[in-house]
This record gives sequence, structure tokens and C-alpha cells, in this order.
Amino acid sequence: MTDGRSVTRARPAGGSLIGDEPLIRLVDVTVTYPNGKEALINVDLEIRRGDFIFLVGPSGAGKSTLIRLLIREQVATSGRVYLAGRDLARVSRSQVHRLRRRIGVVFQDFRLLPNKTVRENVAFALEVTGAPLDEIRRRVPRLLALVGLEDQAQQLPAQLSGGEQQRAAIARALVHDPAILIADEPTGNLDPVTGWEIVQLLLEINALGTTLVVATHNQEIVTALRRRVVALEQGRMVRDEVGAAYRRG
Amino acid sequence: MGFLRFLGFTVVRAGQGFWRNKMMSLAATATVILMLVLLSGLVIVLGGLNSGLAYIESKVGVTARLVDGLAPEAVDQLVADVRALPGVASVEYVSPDEAMRRLEQAYADRGQTLETGGSDISLYASIEVALTDPAAATSVSAALGERPEIERITTIQEQYDKLLGVTNVVRLAGLSAMILVGLTVVFMIVNTIRIAVFSRSREIEIMRLVGASDAFIRWPFIMEGMLCGLLGAVFTVLLVALVWGPIQPLLIEIFQMPTAVGAQFFTFVAVLILSVGLVVGMLGSWISVRAHLAAGV
Repeated sequence: MTDGRSVTRARPAGGSLIGDEPLIRLVDVTVTYPNGKEALINVDLEIRRGDFIFLVGPSGAGKSTLIRLLIREQVATSGRVYLAGRDLARVSRSQVHRLRRRIGVVFQDFRLLPNKTVRENVAFALEVTGAPLDEIRRRVPRLLALVGLEDQAQQLPAQLSGGEQQRAAIARALVHDPAILIADEPTGNLDPVTGWEIVQLLLEINALGTTLVVATHNQEIVTALRRRVVALEQGRMVRDEVGAAYRRG
Repeated sequence: MGFLRFLGFTVVRAGQGFWRNKMMSLAATATVILMLVLLSGLVIVLGGLNSGLAYIESKVGVTARLVDGLAPEAVDQLVADVRALPGVASVEYVSPDEAMRRLEQAYADRGQTLETGGSDISLYASIEVALTDPAAATSVSAALGERPEIERITTIQEQYDKLLGVTNVVRLAGLSAMILVGLTVVFMIVNTIRIAVFSRSREIEIMRLVGASDAFIRWPFIMEGMLCGLLGAVFTVLLVALVWGPIQPLLIEIFQMPTAVGAQFFTFVAVLILSVGLVVGMLGSWISVRAHLAAGV
């Protein structure tokens, strides 16, 4: 388990494998904002099923833009972004929601609903996609068990520690059994020990077959895990190395 | 089953939204009530005027006052000649005695007695011409005008035209007021829903991220606007039902004729109020949701 590419794929999450096709492929992607700023410049990237990738780079390097492209919050100005062979620019607005069920996302600030309990926060993600009640009753406890929050199910986010809130957010991101989980600075608001616990959880999820893309500034974790590292600087991809350390410049 | 889940989710969320944002929701509902009360008033007044028009239309005829001292033979001849005119259904001679009897009867119907102060009054003799077609009133009047036995001609057509004029003015003024109030209501609902959308922006963001469809995101807000409209409409229907009985004599007094404001008309007004309430609520929230929930790219 030293390399994201060599992780045992217990099961292909979020759909079947189609040959050896990459799960995500960016081909010569450029994103230019209306003010003329280029957020990404000629980026080529392939992510295979089961990969665990650290996305690193200083603030403003283009990490958030890349994540927004992957969850189809944004489309590339030029170039192509494919998810399981499907060109995201060609996904119609009315079909975007189906695409997003295949991608889980967690953020630095957790984004839990403060007036709902942990259980309700996770169930909410199923309710709003029209899942039947029995499915909600079946899946939510399983997900809470996976992230180790069975005992906190009835607590509100404000009653939880930062690490527990991030676990709840991860459980919610996994409700649709996504093919890929994108974590945007998942340890950014956590102390080092709790940060490591969250990374351990992400590794476990990856071991179960879910592809992981983790955007982070946490040098210690990136260097210690020696996974695949994709580095961005000023919108350009400057490094794509397997088993690499966090390195600036 | 899927649709029922969607419907249940939408209705529950709309109710929660209405309650969380209750001050604005109630303000919007109050404007809906104001608009619907105005609409009800307008419809009832127009209903009365229209039924008055229909009543007069059914009675359109020509009344001709005869010169004094006309011989019975001359009267018979006149009646026979008028009856032969095209468009005439029947001709009735009303003698001065008959006219007095009718006058006394009209007083008696109102519970009064005709007081002449001791003087002996005499009314004019006349003929009342009923028409098969109201459009014949002009030609019949013209034919009567040429007869020397006729002193003066009156037709109900004048009365009809006058009432039609009043009805048109009421209709125009009422519709203008309705459009203004309607726009205010839509504006209120647009703002109410806009506030609801802003207050739930975090939820909406999460719904998008976890793959909720546009319908799941938008319909609770549209339903919330419809709820404002429906509540306003139900309140207005109850209000109209409450005053329906007491206003009947008033309406008959105003329009001086049997009006069409019966149970059937009430049903029509109630259905109209409910439909307009729902449509206005839906329209306002739809505009708001379109403007403030434009989904990404």
C-alpha cells in the first residue's frame, strides 16, 4: 500500500470498470476567468480507478478550479474533462445531478447543516435525491459505522469535535457509493493528530475501492504517505509523481 | 412511489420554509388576501351588473304615452297597427285606471300606501310593446313616433345603455386596480421566496453537491409560494362565505333587480379565488426561483 496505483480494489465503486479506461482524464485543459486570469493552463491528467492522489500547490495554483471542473461546477474554457469516458462539457444541465452522485466531496469547513443531527445530515443527502425510506434506514447506520460515528448519530454538529464533524461530512459524501471522493483540505481545520485520523479514514475508504483526490497543504502527511502527488503552480501542472514527497517550487 | 416521496418531501419542506420565514410568509399571505378580497368584490359587483343587464335585455320593449281623450276605437286601431309591426311580440293597452292600480300595487309591495294628499290624480294611458328581438326597439320607436295618438315614447334601451356604461366603467376600473394589486402580490411573493432561498443557501449548496435534481431543489420553494397563495385564498373564501348572506339584500337594493348572486355564483367565486390564489403564489415563487436559483453551468 505504498502506491495509490497498487491499492487492492476490493470492488469497483460507483459503476463498472470499462476496460482500462481512466476514471478521470483531463486533456489540454485551460480555464480562463472573465477577468482574463488563467486558473488552469494546458493541464493533462489521468486518474485511474482506485488511485489515491494528493493535489498540492500554493493558494491560487488552480487546485480549487480543478475540483470545480471535476464536480462540474464549472466547464473548461478549452480542452476536455472526461469522467469514466464521458465528456463533462456534454453533460446537460438536467443530467448534472446524476453525475454528482458518482462524486463525493468533502471540504475543510465540513459544511454540515447545524440544525440537523449527524444521522439527519447523512440521511438528508439521500432524502434530497429521492431515495426510498428503507434504503435510508439501511444505509445511514452502515455509513456512520464506517466512519466510526454510531455513538454520535443523534448529536448536532456543534456538539462534535472537528474530527468528528469531518467524519460526518465524509459519511455524507459516501451516501451514493461514489466512484471518486474529492477532499478539499480535509485536515485544514484540524489539529495534527485528528488530521492523521482523518487521513487514515480516507486510506481505508480508498482500500475499499473508492478513488481519492485530496487537495492539501499538509506537507507532513503528503511526505509521509508517499502517494501519487500532482502539483500545480500558477495554473500549470508542474509535477505528477508516484511515491513523492511534498516539495515546493 | 417515487413521485409520492418527492411530493411528500416538497410539501414538508415548503411547510418548514413557510414557518421558519413566518413574518415574510404572513405578510405575503396578507397581500394575497387583500388582492383576493378586491377580486371577490369586483366579481360580485360585476355579477350583479351583468345579471341586471340580462334582466333588462329580457325586458327590452317600448312604452308609448298616449294623448289624452283618445277614443276606444282609435286605441284599438293603434294597438292593431302596432301589433302588425315587425319585431313586435305583443301590445298591451294600459288605461289610466290600470296605471293607477299598478302604482298602488307597487306601493303595497313595499309595504306603503299611496298618499295623494286628498287630491284626485289621474295617470296617462299608455301602450306597452314587448319585442321579439331587442334590436327592433329602434324601428318600432320610429314607427310609433309618426303616429299622432302618441305623445311620448320611452324605451328600456336607454336604461340598458346606461347600465352597460356603468358596468364597463366598473369593469375597467376594477381590472386596473386588480392588475396593480396583483403585481404587488407577485412582488411580495418574489421577495418572500428570495429571502427563503438566501436563508437556505447552505442547504441548497449541499443538495447540489450530493446530486439532488433541480426539481428537488426548486419545487419546495415554488410550493411555499403556492402555500401563501392557498392560505390567502382559503381565508378569503371563508370571509366571503361569512358576508355572503348579509350582502344579498344590499345587492338587491343596489341593483334594484334579482341578481345572480345565488349558491351557484358563490361556488364560482370560491373556485375563482382558490385558482387565482394558487396561480399568483406559483407565479411569484417561480419568478423568484428562476432568478435566484440559476443552477451553475
